[in-house]
Amino acid sequence: MNRKDIIELLKNWQVALLVILLVASVVFIFPHVEDGKLTTNIQYGLDLSEGSWLQMEFQSEVVGFETSRPVTDFLTDLQKELDAEIYLIADDKLEIRKYVPEPELGQIFTAAGGRLTSYEQGVSRETGEQVKQILEQKLNALGTRDAKVNPLTSLSGVTRYMRVELAGVSLSQAKDIVGKQGKFEIRIHTTGNETEHVLYGDAITTVGIPSQEPPGSDRWGVSFTLSEEGAAQFRDAAIGYGATTDPENHWLDMVLDDAMVYSAPLSKDLAAKLQVEPIRQLYASTGSGQAGLNAAKNLEIHLRAGALPVGVSVAGSGSVSAPLGDYFKTMSVLAFVVAAIAVGVVIFYRYREPAIVLPMIGTNLSEIVILLGIAALIQQQLDLLAIAALIAVLGTGIDQLVIITDEVLHEGKVPSPHLYQKRLTRAVGIIMVSAATVVIAMIPLALMDLSTLRGFAIITIIGVVVGVLITRPAYGKIIMAILSK
Amino acid sequence: MGMGFVTYDVNRYTPRQMVVLPMVLLIVSLAILGYNMASTGMPVKPGMDFSGGTAITLLNPENPDTLRATFSGYPLIEPIGEKFIKFGPMDDAAFESLATLVNDQYPDAKIDQIGPSFGQTLQEQALLALTISFIGMAIVVFLAFRSFVPAGAVVLSAFADIAMTAAVMSVIGIELTLPTTAALLMLIGYSVDSDILLTMRVLKRQGKLNEKLSGAFNTGIIMTTTTLAAIAAMWVVAFAGEITVIRDIASVLLIGLVIDMMNTWLTNAGIIKWFVQKQESGQRKETGRKRGAK
Repeated sequence: MNRKDIIELLKNWQVALLVILLVASVVFIFPHVEDGKLTTNIQYGLDLSEGSWLQMEFQSEVVGFETSRPVTDFLTDLQKELDAEIYLIADDKLEIRKYVPEPELGQIFTAAGGRLTSYEQGVSRETGEQVKQILEQKLNALGTRDAKVNPLTSLSGVTRYMRVELAGVSLSQAKDIVGKQGKFEIRIHTTGNETEHVLYGDAITTVGIPSQEPPGSDRWGVSFTLSEEGAAQFRDAAIGYGATTDPENHWLDMVLDDAMVYSAPLSKDLAAKLQVEPIRQLYASTGSGQAGLNAAKNLEIHLRAGALPVGVSVAGSGSVSAPLGDYFKTMSVLAFVVAAIAVGVVIFYRYREPAIVLPMIGTNLSEIVILLGIAALIQQQLDLLAIAALIAVLGTGIDQLVIITDEVLHEGKVPSPHLYQKRLTRAVGIIMVSAATVVIAMIPLALMDLSTLRGFAIITIIGVVVGVLITRPAYGKIIMAILSK
Repeated sequence: MGMGFVTYDVNRYTPRQMVVLPMVLLIVSLAILGYNMASTGMPVKPGMDFSGGTAITLLNPENPDTLRATFSGYPLIEPIGEKFIKFGPMDDAAFESLATLVNDQYPDAKIDQIGPSFGQTLQEQALLALTISFIGMAIVVFLAFRSFVPAGAVVLSAFADIAMTAAVMSVIGIELTLPTTAALLMLIGYSVDSDILLTMRVLKRQGKLNEKLSGAFNTGIIMTTTTLAAIAAMWVVAFAGEITVIRDIASVLLIGLVIDMMNTWLTNAGIIKWFVQKQESGQRKETGRKRGAK
């Protein structure tokens, strides 16, 4: 092939796209030397790099119920009986933040004058998202290098598990981080910018979810309860520093890990009540509208000081050391290289023609490079299963190049351009159908999030799609250009 | 035939002869899986991912006897390898102390622990994923061919691939884990690859049935051989390096691909041959009648 042929070939959009994507992928992968080591933008999952994972199971359940009694009365009785936080998340659905087995809960519901209609362990999607937020805030505050928090939500919208992945951290460290609480403090303004300690987070016994006060007013805030001792401390400080008589000059600050998260004066109403007696039930308003709601959500997290609103147990965990991660990485590269060579040998044995074999291997490898480029771009982590998917893509890729080659070279002769196009279309038809089946087969895994299988499915799907849409049709054009010489 | 080491002639046997062997094997496989299902509730023995347990992977090989002595206080599962050790389910406190012990003795090890209830959830989801994938694949195949017998033959071959592979897994002791589930799903994709090639070639190309079958066989065998080569290479490296995740995937794919060759070139080829011959003879009768009427 001379230069003119190559330019002709590049005018074909599929070939041009292949080249552009190859270049773009190399840019995304960005191989470079850092501290004397070859580094890329490819992210490695927990098998291939040091880190830990924790699979946490919520000690909570989402249940359906029926009752002929007024719902509030029914809930009050349940609350008394269960001694747990209970939230109405839909007209006939409750989130109970305490693990109670189904038969036992059924009896309690019956006793309270209702009926348990469904039972699923876990929390509502909203609570799941909130736990994710709390964990992420905590992990960010600790400066953890790379942390991922994934709630696993079932099709019915109940989140039973939460997976936390922490890079560069040992298992016991990971458990400490997840279990660790921040230091929460309420301080009061005395004179000028001076503040004094009032109480610590341990004085807060319960924290509510964002609510409107008065209900329906669109003015948001969070209620919380102090212990008796805490309420006494609070009253003493408010009276002692003069906040009850002059609230505007003695604001209260809430501080989490030395950062101020909320500041407001006592309300007139509360100031007056505090003069008389200690108040345990407090309410911090955060403003109106969406901004008020968002601020209330954040404040709720801060009031909990990093404690999760729902109890969790560890359902699974694991960790990989740095040397073992490196070992797996080396072996993965080795497995990949050996597989590529094996494929090359078989292809060469079959066709014995470098003009066919080299473009085939080249197309096959460029598919992998583009796949890695996309993985780097979308920050898809590569773990051992994803490597297996890569090798599998290499295998199916070469399969389909064989289909194209044999289809167009039917009876060993290079056909006329018209016939060639017809055959290429037919070959692409075959590989489209088989690609569609692979994609369909992988979609449940990509959606269901069976922990590590998701990466496997995503890599396979991307690989197959890139292959059938771009690289394999481009190969058809390239092989034609080469063979018609 | 095209490749020197393949001596099977796809045109030598009648459709009935072709499908006998795979159908007998399919029945045997289903019997094995059914027996497992009846006695344990699972068609293939579930591994740690599904039944719960703890696995430890060491960086450097260690004498199994030393390992037995070190971990004697924990529910070790035999056989134990030089780098890979498994434990049955244990409570949180036992796991904590095991993790500490591993951390002291083998700081470079990898630990994975799955609780039984989480394993149960994973197992349900994995079986669901397999079922949905299979149904999805069948729908695509039926939409692509819009003809019952050819599409049914492809789906039957894929089903036979999965069932026979699962049966072999159960016989030689490969457990069903997340990686091997992924391999079975991958197999659905590989399986239909050569089946679709065969069906498309036979139904959509012009020419004699014998030639089309031989042509499809030549292409199909080279396809499966290259895939086998890639997977075999992966298996060798993973086996030598004791990377259990990749080794298990590769093992299942190797078994599955060999079984797929049989199902493609006996089951599917047999049915499609019968289908085309029946159509041709139908057409001959049709034209014969027309001529007679003239």
